[in-house]
Amino acid sequence: MSDELGRALDRISRVRGMRGSMWVSAEDGLPVAQLLMEGVPGKAVAALAASLVRKVSGTAGAVGAGRVRFVQMEASGGTLLVALAPPDLLVVALADSRVNIGLARLEMMRAAQAASR
Amino acid sequence: MIDDIRTLTAALARDPASLAYADLAEALRRRNQRDEALRVALQGLSRHPMHADGHDVLARIYSDMGDLDRARLAWSKVLEIAPDHGGALKGVAFVRFRQGDSDAAAAALEQALAVDPSDDAARRALDTVRRTPMAPPPPPTEPAARVTVSAPEAGPAPSPPPPPPPPAEAARVRPPVFSGFDRSTADILLLDERGLVVAGGLVSSAGTDVSEVAAAGLAGVSGEATRTGEYLGLGGWRTIVAEAESANLVVAPVGEGALILVRRDRSMPVGLALRFAERARGTASTWLAGQGA
Repeated sequence: MSDELGRALDRISRVRGMRGSMWVSAEDGLPVAQLLMEGVPGKAVAALAASLVRKVSGTAGAVGAGRVRFVQMEASGGTLLVALAPPDLLVVALADSRVNIGLARLEMMRAAQAASR
Repeated sequence: MIDDIRTLTAALARDPASLAYADLAEALRRRNQRDEALRVALQGLSRHPMHADGHDVLARIYSDMGDLDRARLAWSKVLEIAPDHGGALKGVAFVRFRQGDSDAAAAALEQALAVDPSDDAARRALDTVRRTPMAPPPPPTEPAARVTVSAPEAGPAPSPPPPPPPPAEAARVRPPVFSGFDRSTADILLLDERGLVVAGGLVSSAGTDVSEVAAAGLAGVSGEATRTGEYLGLGGWRTIVAEAESANLVVAPVGEGALILVRRDRSMPVGLALRFAERARGTASTWLAGQGA
């Protein structure tokens, strides 16, 4: 894991309620770097997050919303967050329901913007 | 989907006489690879000219391409081979309706229901057709759609989007569930459990109704969210928020399988968009309950 990617994951993981964060290849949904609590299925998180983002992006494009930058899926048992880091990376985070989404989003968008530069 | 296509392509390569061509053509159609889907379907039908499901797929491909005459011919062929083919009956109804012939559309849907009385999609489509005021057949160069009735599908994927009716007309035929909400027929969309538009509407910046396009996409989003929740042990999903360049989208389930989509300008904070969506969801839920949904 490169230092820069690792530091970004470290910052994201400090947000309360965070169970793990990872860099994922947007194209194939494979993990690039990850920092996960035990028991979090990294490969599945990566694949599903990338797939969800593809579907959401397709719909957003079709309805004229433009390019998607951030996706959050809230479920009864937790939240999946994805920031897009064009051209080819995603910042993905899995959190429990206590997470401060605003703070997590801030760190993830910051990481995504730094990676896109 | 890509895996499906790979698997089916491999199966067909192993056995070119296989009926897997129909599934492969359908998978390609759903990925909008229409030319490739058409090639596969025609090639398969050259080997299996009496394969009803193959003609059914071919009809859907033509329908996607906007070639309603060829779609109708292909569905008619299905009915020659299998007169009780529900998909083809609904297909014929779809084409007839799009061509302005509500009576013929209703007759085909009644036949589909006679074959399968539990076919809710056919029942809803029939209700829609009957509720629609008779309109004169449109000029041949213009789309004939008067309401949103979707072409039939073989599987859970959404129907191909028909050419959109003008927004005002679409709003006229949909129940005013969200009246009182800001942009109630331009930025809020309610879909039933089959992915069919039932209320509201979504209008593009160019003024065209993109409700059906959104509905098609949302079926995939909902399915993916459900799968994600199950795999990751997150349970049922409650909302999906997408922040995009020019708008924020909020998607949420309503009751048993229905969905609501709310689009808000980027200038509205996400938290506020979520509250707005929550209010709209409550309204939709109440309305659906009143409909017996």
